[in-house]
Amino acid sequence: MAGSLLAPAPPAPGAATPAAGTGRLHRLRRALSERRTRFGLLNAAPVVVYLLVLFVYPIFSTLLLSLKGEEGGWTLHWYADALQGSNLEVLFTTLRISAETSLLSLVIGFLLAAAVSRLKPLWAGLVMIIVIVPHFISALVRTYGWIILLGERGVVNNALTDLKVPGAPFQMLYNEIGVVIGTTSVMLPYTVLLLYAVMRGIDRRLPAAAASMGAGRLTIFRRVYLPMVAPGLVNAGILCFILCLGYYLTPALMGGPKQTMVASLISEQVMKQNQWNGAAALGIILLLLTFGGLLLLRLIKAVSEAAKNRGIS
Amino acid sequence: MPELHLKSQPQSSPAVFPPPGSGTGKPLSVTDLRKTYGGVTAVDTVSMEIAGGEFVTFLGSSGSGKTTTLMMIAGFCEPDSGSIVVGGRDVTRLAPQKRGLGFVFQQYLLFPHMTVWENVAFPLQLRGVPKAELRRRVGETLEIAGLSAMARRRPRELSGGQQQRVALCRALVYRPPVILMDEPLGALDKKLRDQLQTEIKRIQQELGLTVIYVTHDQEEALVLSDRIAVMRDGRIDQFDTPRELFERPRTPFVADFLGAANFLPGTVQQRTPEQTLVRLDTGGLLTARPQAGAEGAKVRAAVQPGRLRLCTPGDGFCTGTVETVTYVGTLVRVTVRPAGGADTGVVRLELPAGEAPVLGEQVSLTAHPDDVSVFAVEGGG
Repeated sequence: MAGSLLAPAPPAPGAATPAAGTGRLHRLRRALSERRTRFGLLNAAPVVVYLLVLFVYPIFSTLLLSLKGEEGGWTLHWYADALQGSNLEVLFTTLRISAETSLLSLVIGFLLAAAVSRLKPLWAGLVMIIVIVPHFISALVRTYGWIILLGERGVVNNALTDLKVPGAPFQMLYNEIGVVIGTTSVMLPYTVLLLYAVMRGIDRRLPAAAASMGAGRLTIFRRVYLPMVAPGLVNAGILCFILCLGYYLTPALMGGPKQTMVASLISEQVMKQNQWNGAAALGIILLLLTFGGLLLLRLIKAVSEAAKNRGIS
Repeated sequence: MPELHLKSQPQSSPAVFPPPGSGTGKPLSVTDLRKTYGGVTAVDTVSMEIAGGEFVTFLGSSGSGKTTTLMMIAGFCEPDSGSIVVGGRDVTRLAPQKRGLGFVFQQYLLFPHMTVWENVAFPLQLRGVPKAELRRRVGETLEIAGLSAMARRRPRELSGGQQQRVALCRALVYRPPVILMDEPLGALDKKLRDQLQTEIKRIQQELGLTVIYVTHDQEEALVLSDRIAVMRDGRIDQFDTPRELFERPRTPFVADFLGAANFLPGTVQQRTPEQTLVRLDTGGLLTARPQAGAEGAKVRAAVQPGRLRLCTPGDGFCTGTVETVTYVGTLVRVTVRPAGGADTGVVRLELPAGEAPVLGEQVSLTAHPDDVSVFAVEGGG
C-alpha cells in the first residue's frame, strides 16, 4: 500500500481547480492510485467510448445544428420556428395523441394484467407470451395488419355492417381513432408487463384480510388494491407517454394530415425540405419533453411520499 | 353497493363497541357444521358454544379440520350444512365482511402501503368512526400492545413479532364479538412465540376478549386456553378445560396427543365404585380411578410420563430395567423395559433430576389411581 501511495497519481480531470478543495482532490488521487480503481476504469473504457461516439456526440452535434444560423453564427431562430404556427400545432397533437394512447393502454393494460395475475402460473405465462410475441414482429407488418383490419372494407367494418350496427362502416383509418388504436397496440406490452409485475407482487390474501375486518369489494379495491398498484400505474403511464412522443411509424401510416406527430414532421423536414437545422431543433424539443416526463415521474413520487408522511402526523 | 352497506353499519347497530360479553345470546354458537372437499370429509358435525370472554383453542394435527372450521366461522369458506350464530345473528351464509368478526392471520397480512397507525385505523375508518374517537381508540390499542413508538413505521420496517402485534391490534381495535386467530405465532421462533403467548393472554384478559385460536402446538394450547377442542379427522374428540383434558382424557387420542401417555395393555379384573383394577399383560396389578369397562374386558391403561413414580420393589404395578436416562434441565427422562409377561414396549417416565435412577437398575413403578385412565380396546384387538 505504501508503495502505491508514493506513486504519482494521474492528473484528475475536473478536479484540478484549487477551489474544489484539497481534501476531495486527495481522496480522488488516492482512489485513482489503487489497482482496483485503475482496473475498473480500464473495464469501463469500451462502454465510455461507445457512449461518447454513438450517444453523446450525436446529441451534442444535433444541439449545435439546432443553434446554427443559415449564414453561420448562433441563433434561436429554429426554436422560434418550431414553436409557432402549424409546427406548434404538431407539437400539441403529439402531446394529445401520446396522452390518449397512454390512458387507453393503461386502462386496457390494467384490466389485462389484473386478469392475468389471477390465473394459474402456467396459463398466465401463456397469456403473457401471446401479449408479447406480436412485439417480435416488425412494427411495419403489424401496422399494415391494422390497416387491413380497420379499412372501410376491412374485417371489423364488414362484421359491424353485417350486424347492422347503425352508422357502419365507420371511418377508423387516417384519423385519430386509427392512430390511437395502432399506437396503443404497440404500447400495450409495456404497460401489461409493468403492471403484471407489480400485481404479481401483491399478496392475494390481503383483500381477504381487509374483508375480514369489514371492507366491501369496492373499498378493498379503492383502499387496498389500487394504492398498491399505483406506483406501477404511474411508471407505466409515463413510460408509455415518453415512448409515444417520438413514435413515427404507426401515426405516419394510420393517421391523416391532422395527426402529424413530431417524428413525422422531422422526417418531412429532412427528407423533403432538406431542412436539417429545424429538424434538429424539433429533435431537441422532443428530448426536453422526454426529460420533462421523467421529471414529472420523480415529482409525483416525491409529492405522494410527502403526502403520506403528512397524513400520519 | 357493498361499500354503502358498510358505511351504514354504525347506524343500524347503535353499539359500535359493545362491551365484551354483552348483547343477546352467546358470542358464538356453532351447530352441526359439515364440510367435504371432493368426497373427503374435512369437518364432520362440529358443534360448540362459546361464552363471552372465553379463550378457546382448536387443537389438532394438520388435516384435523381445525383450520377449515375456523375458515367457515370467518366466512372464507362455506359449510355444506350446519349453522353459525354470532351474538344471536345467523351468519352462516354471510360474506366475511358482513360478519363483524376479527381475524389474525399466520402471515400477518398487514397492508404494506399503510403505516402501523393507518393499518390499525383502517377498520375504524370503514365503520365511519369520528376522527377524535378514532385517534383515541387507535392510540389506546397501540399503547396496550406496546407499539406506540412504532405508529409511523411501515410494516416492512418491523420484526415478525411486532408485525403480528400490529395485526392483533388491527383485529381488536373495533371490538369484534369474537376474534379468530389462525396459528398466529406459527411463523415466529420459539423464544418470541413464548413472549407473544404471554402478551396475547394478557391483552385477552385485560380487555375480556372472546378468542378462537387454532394451533397444532399442544403446549401453546395449554398455556393460552380456557377450553381446548381437540380435533381429529374433522371431529371434536373432546372439548374441555386443559386440566380436564390432561387429567381425564376421554379418548386414547387425547391422552396421547396432550400428555404423550404410556399405554399399558391389560384386562379389567375388578370394578368397584371406588376403583378399577387392571391386570396388566406384563403381570402387575394397576389401580385406576373408577371407570366404565366390564370385568374381563380388554383395555389399555394410560398414564402420563410425569405421573409415574419409582417405589420400593413389590409395591408397584410393574418392575423393569432402566434402559435410558436423559437429563432435560431440572427433569430427567427415563425409559424402563418391563420384566415378565408379554413384551409391550418401554414405559416412559419423567422424574425430578434428584430422583434419577442408574442405567440397568431394577426399578418398580407406581401411579396414583386418579392419574390412570382406562380405555376399552376397539374391535377386541
